[in-house]
Amino acid sequence: MNPLKVENVVKQYADKTAVNGISLEVSEGEIYGLLGANGAGKTTTMRMVLGLIYPDEGRILYNGKPYSNEQLSLLGYLPEERGLYPKVKVSDQIIYLSQLRGMSRADADRNLKHWLERFEVPEYYNKKVEELSKGNQQKIQFIAAVNHKPRIVVMDEAFSGLDPVNVELLKSTVKELRDAGSSILFSTHRMEHVEELCRNITILHRSNTVLKGSLKEIKKQFPRERVILGTDNEVSGLERVAGVTGVTRTEHGYEIAVSFEAAGADILRLAMEQATVNRFEIKEPTLNEIFIRTVGDRHE
Amino acid sequence: MNNFWTVVGFTIRNKVKGKAFTITTLIIALVISIGINLPYIIEQFDKGDKVTNVGYIQSQSEEAAGGTATGDSLKAYYEQQENPSIVMVPFEDEGDAAANEAQLKQAIDEGRIKGYLEFGEMSDSGFPQMTYKSEKLMEFGMTESMQGALVQIRQANVLQDAGLTAEQMAQLNAPIEIGTVQIYTGDGSGSGNAGRTPEEQGVNMGVIYVMIIFLFMAIMTSGNMIASEITAEKSSRVMEILITSVSPLKQMFGKIFGMFVVVIVQVAFYVAVILLNVSMPHNKGALGNLDIDLSLIDPLLLVYALLFFLTGFFLFATLYAAIGSIVSRTEDLGQAVMPLTFVSLAGFYIAIFSISAPDSMLVKVTSYIPVFSPFVMLLRLGLTDVPMWQTLLSFGILLVSIYGAVYVSAKIYRTGVLMYGKRPSWKEIRKAMKAYKI
Repeated sequence: MNPLKVENVVKQYADKTAVNGISLEVSEGEIYGLLGANGAGKTTTMRMVLGLIYPDEGRILYNGKPYSNEQLSLLGYLPEERGLYPKVKVSDQIIYLSQLRGMSRADADRNLKHWLERFEVPEYYNKKVEELSKGNQQKIQFIAAVNHKPRIVVMDEAFSGLDPVNVELLKSTVKELRDAGSSILFSTHRMEHVEELCRNITILHRSNTVLKGSLKEIKKQFPRERVILGTDNEVSGLERVAGVTGVTRTEHGYEIAVSFEAAGADILRLAMEQATVNRFEIKEPTLNEIFIRTVGDRHE
Repeated sequence: MNNFWTVVGFTIRNKVKGKAFTITTLIIALVISIGINLPYIIEQFDKGDKVTNVGYIQSQSEEAAGGTATGDSLKAYYEQQENPSIVMVPFEDEGDAAANEAQLKQAIDEGRIKGYLEFGEMSDSGFPQMTYKSEKLMEFGMTESMQGALVQIRQANVLQDAGLTAEQMAQLNAPIEIGTVQIYTGDGSGSGNAGRTPEEQGVNMGVIYVMIIFLFMAIMTSGNMIASEITAEKSSRVMEILITSVSPLKQMFGKIFGMFVVVIVQVAFYVAVILLNVSMPHNKGALGNLDIDLSLIDPLLLVYALLFFLTGFFLFATLYAAIGSIVSRTEDLGQAVMPLTFVSLAGFYIAIFSISAPDSMLVKVTSYIPVFSPFVMLLRLGLTDVPMWQTLLSFGILLVSIYGAVYVSAKIYRTGVLMYGKRPSWKEIRKAMKAYKI
C-alpha cells in the first residue's frame, strides 16, 4: 500500500476549476514530481494533500486511510512562501512545530541540532528568523518541514531563492530523506532537478493532467530528434541527408535536427567519409523540451 | 490534549519573553505605584499650608463696630475648633482706609496672612457686607468656610437671645439620621436573608467596580493580543504549517487559554503592586481613612463575579480570535476589531453608569444580552435582589452563546486563516465555512 494516494481529485473555486481530476500515487522512498506552469494547480493539489483545503470530488488516502487529525503527524510541509514566526528564535519555533506533530521536546532539540550541523549553520540556533537572509530562512523552513521525521513530505518550490551551493546541499538532503523511506511530493520549475530526483512525474496544465508516468517512459514517448556531431574537419552535404530538417554549426561540430531517429546512421556515415568523428550522439529530449512542448503547444 | 498544552506554553512563553510586554507591564505598574503614593507625595509638598491666616481690622471707631464684632466672633469661632482651617489675625486700626489697606497688603507681602476681610455697610443679614481680598483667584473654599461659620454664629446668637436652654439648643443642633439596609424579599440569588448594611453595600459596590474594571481590562488587552497574534501568524504564513500540524480548535483555544493565563498573571502582578504600595508604612493612614473592611465582602458575590469574569472573558476572546482570523494584514486589524471594542465599551459603561440605578430598565434588559451580561448582571447581583431564575437565565444565555461563538469562531478560524488578499465578503465566508469541518 502506497503511503500517499490521490484519486480523481477535483477542486473548484467559485466559477473556476483549479484542479480537474488529478490522480497520483507516491510509494515509499520516492520523490514524485508535480510540474506545471504558474497557476496550473500544483499548489492547490499540494494543499489538498496537506488537508488545508478539501477536494470537491475524489479522495486522498494516507496509508490507505482518509484524512484525519491522526495523519497530521505523518505530514511535513515546505511551503513556497516563507512560513515562520519572524520574531521567534529558530530553536523555539522549530521545537514547537515538531512538538505539535507529536515529537518530544528532547528529540526535537536533538534533531534540530543535527540538521543545523548538516546545513553548516549551528550558530542560528539562538537567532531570530527575521535576522537571517532569505536563503538561510529557506534552510530553516526546510528543517521545520522535516525535523519531526515525517513519512510524507510536501515540498512546494523547495529550492527557490537558494544559491547553487545550497541547492546542492538541500538536494542531497532530499535524496537522503528519500533513501530513508519518506514519500516526497515535489514541485519545482527547475527541470534539471526533476530529472535528477524524480522517478514519476505529473505535468499539469490549466488544471488538467496532460502528462503522467515514469520519467523514462515519458522520455521514450518523445522521439529522439537531435543529433550531436563533433568532427575535426568540415562536413558538407548534411542538409541533403534524408530526414534532416536543420543544421546548426557549433564550436566543435554540428547540431542536427532530424525528423526520425534512423537518419542518425546516414549522418554518421556521411561524416566518417569526410572527417574524423570525435563525438556522435542521438540525444533523448530533455524534460525541459518535453515540458515546453506539452505545455507550450497548448498555450494559444 | 498534549498539543493543547504545547500551544498554551508557546503562547505564554512568547508573550512573556517579548520586550513590549515586559515594558508595558512595568510602565503600568509604575503608574499604579505613583497613583497610590500621590496623596502622600502631595502632602509632602503641601505641609504647613493647611491653615490660612486671614487678616481683619480691629477698629475702635463707632461706624466700624459691626465689622470688628464680626471679625472677633469669627476669630473666636475658629479658635474653638480642634483643627481650624482658618486663623483670624486682628490688625490695629491705622485711622483711615488707605493706610489700613496698605498695612494689610504689606502683611500679605510678608506672608503673615493669605488674605483679608473687608467690612462695609451693615446689611439685613445682621452682619456687614464683606469682601475677601487675596492674591488668589476663585477662593470659594475660603468664603464658604467663613459663610458657614457666620451662619452658625448667627444661629447661636439668635437662639441665645430667644432664651432657650442649653439642652434645647443641643437638641436643635443634633443631626437626624435615617439608616439604610438592603433586604431580600423573595427567592433571591444572595447568600442570606439578613440583608446588607450600608457598609456591606459599600464594600460590594467596591468589589463590583473592581471586577468590572478587571474584566474590561482583561478583554481589551488580551482581545487585541489574540486578534493580532492570529493575524500575524496568518500574514507570516506560519498558519499553513500550524494548520497542518494541529487541529484548529485546539490551536485557537490553546492561544486563548495561554493569553488568559498571561492576563491573569499580569493582573495578579498589578494587584501585588497595589497591595505592596498600600501596605507601605506611610500609606497606612490613607487606607485606614477609607474604612474598608474586607471581611464584609459577600463570598457568594465573589463566586458570581468569578463566573461572569471567566465566561465574559472567553466569549470576547473567541470573538476576537474570529476577527483576527478574517483579517490578513495587521494594518487592517484595528478597523476590524472596532465593532467588538465598542460592544465591550458599551457593556462596561452601562454597568459603571448604572451603579447608582441598578434597577433601571436598561440594566434589566442588558443583563440578558450575552455580550453585556458579564458586566451588567454582576452589577445587579451585587446591588439588588435578583431572583434566582433570572440569574440562571442570564448565565444560561451566556453559556449557550459562548458555545455558539466557539462553534462559529472555530469555523471562521479554520476558514479565514486560508483566505488571503482583500477582506472576504460575508457570502464568501459563509460558503467557505460550510466546506470545513472543525
